Amino acid sequence: MSGPDLLPVAVSCGDPSGIGPEIIVAAWATLRHELPFFMIGDPQHVPTGAKTVVIDTPADAPLAMAGGLPVLPVAFPKPARPGQPDPENAPRVVEVIQRAVELVVEGAASALCTAPVSKRELVIHAGFAFPGQTEFLAHLAGGRQAVMMLASDELKVVPVTTHIPVSEVPKALSAELLETTIRITDRALREDFGVAEPRRIAVAGLNPHAGESGVLGNEDAIIIAPVCDRLRAEGISIAGPLSADTMFHAQARAGYDAAIAMYHDQALIPIKTLAFDSGVNVTLGLPFIRTSPDHGTAYDIAGRGQANPDSMIAALRLARKTASARLAN
Amino acid sequence: MTLKTIALVQGDPGGIGPELLHKLLSDDEVRNCANLVVIGAPEVFARGEDQMGSRIDVRHAALDAQIDPFDGQVLHLDLLIEGIGDVPVARVSAAGGQSSIEGLRRAFELSQAGQVDGIVFMPFNKESMHLGGNEFADELGFARSFFDLKTPASEFNVANGMWNGRVTSHVAMKDVPDLLTTERIEKSIGLTDRTLKMAGHDRPRIVVAAYNPHAGDGGLMGDEEIRVIRPAVEQAQRKQINCVGPLPADTLWLKVRDGEYDAVVTMYHDQGQIAIKLLGFDRGVSVLAGLPVPMTTPAHGTAFDIAGQAKANLVPAKNAFTMCLNMASNRNATTGVDSGSAD
Repeated sequence: MSGPDLLPVAVSCGDPSGIGPEIIVAAWATLRHELPFFMIGDPQHVPTGAKTVVIDTPADAPLAMAGGLPVLPVAFPKPARPGQPDPENAPRVVEVIQRAVELVVEGAASALCTAPVSKRELVIHAGFAFPGQTEFLAHLAGGRQAVMMLASDELKVVPVTTHIPVSEVPKALSAELLETTIRITDRALREDFGVAEPRRIAVAGLNPHAGESGVLGNEDAIIIAPVCDRLRAEGISIAGPLSADTMFHAQARAGYDAAIAMYHDQALIPIKTLAFDSGVNVTLGLPFIRTSPDHGTAYDIAGRGQANPDSMIAALRLARKTASARLAN
Repeated sequence: MTLKTIALVQGDPGGIGPELLHKLLSDDEVRNCANLVVIGAPEVFARGEDQMGSRIDVRHAALDAQIDPFDGQVLHLDLLIEGIGDVPVARVSAAGGQSSIEGLRRAFELSQAGQVDGIVFMPFNKESMHLGGNEFADELGFARSFFDLKTPASEFNVANGMWNGRVTSHVAMKDVPDLLTTERIEKSIGLTDRTLKMAGHDRPRIVVAAYNPHAGDGGLMGDEEIRVIRPAVEQAQRKQINCVGPLPADTLWLKVRDGEYDAVVTMYHDQGQIAIKLLGFDRGVSVLAGLPVPMTTPAHGTAFDIAGQAKANLVPAKNAFTMCLNMASNRNATTGVDSGSAD
């Protein structure tokens, strides 16, 4: 086990009727001798037969790891039926996330790793007023601007706009939003990923062939290029706006540390195609570290033992790694 | 069985086209399975021979020469273009552009006359074509105009057996939503179905990509899936087309790679191009579908960086040739199906 100085990672259980509990247990089986973590949630929601150790405080997690998945209990009103979310459980799903953030903020856990939730369930049954967990966490962190990074060994990519209709992307794409996103990414590369100077960032264009000199759209020239020029003048090593279809192959990726995409699928298509099961969602710009697997609740396969825990395992490893990097900084 | 006749249109003289054509004609499999008609300037053909250091046995004839009957020898129809022999390697040129356009025009004419069953062209250079007086954005625009097409035509990209057809392509992102109509999407699905059938798939499995993140998540992030894409998929299904969708665009490509589907219909340029370029499209083939004649080309460009060095990879050009011959062969066999399923 590495780094006794490093605290355990807090894992929110997510939607208990999704694949969250089973992939957390599977991650424990893989990581029990590698990195300490604990789940916050209802011990009853863990799949039957899985070894668990109910703990009173996060500090007990490292020792408990050997015997079973450490669970810091939060009682839910209803059992977890795979694939069938219970409306009465929805408010507790939100509470678990809040509890996890408290523990990280007060220094009882080193980082937060969140299992998937169903936004639809939370919006309808828990009055959840955020487009996603990322925005909720930004709110809990005092209204910080947070950005989502998708990270794998092959690629780190940050979408500037995320969960909005594609038709609204051109309007939502402002110089200010783009600049903030690039700055947060640059800082995270330094602080959380330990990337040495010069950090290299590749910025995608919005339009096909990055607008082809304005023939295929002008946002590339009018909005994106000036921001790239300005930040380049400050010493950030920026390439772009680049044609998005030719910036993700191996040779191109070797030339940058992170890519900036203009919309959700422009980031998600390459990361899923390159690293389907091992991509991790990292939230940048928060005062604490947060990672999550880059898939959803997968109600259709929940409870069948078919869920692949690779992304959860990668998310835990990355949480641990970035927590160490931040500690070293 | 009579051999099909395939026209090979010479590419841009500054690129790797002359070399690729030489390599193609040096391939026994290629030479033996079709009647071959090269259309291009003799100087450019000779350039390929010089670059490769060997001669190819062809019978030269005037551009408008009668091309039947074939005696087993490759026929070279000579385009006369002033100064084309002096075009430097790795440079764009008006002469190169003219040769591309005029070569294609002759190939179209021969196909109209029923003397050519398929067309393969070596890489063209868009800038050369522009300099050479081409008023169209690309080959497809030229072809549409030449054949006076009213029905949809579109470029398909094929990488390792994975097909990508697109509803919109070279269009600004802000203009895409207005172009996404049920009618246009359904036509793209139909064209995909017909094109894959022509390429030898009995019942192509087609997946239609969503437009919005997470396929709109039930309307939370955009409603095009509900409003236009799903109705198009359902209409196509009613016409016995084997298609599903809309599916979230980020996860569907691996299903295609793993063999669940043969083709993806995408809503906009980068949705398909980002993925297919990661899945080996640089070695792939572009198919210009919906034309009266099968037409293919290697997916890569003129590759000025390696032009004249005899190191271009023949595989994409040979794949383009094989695909074209395949489509030409299936075309007659499936003519009834084609017209029967057209709109």
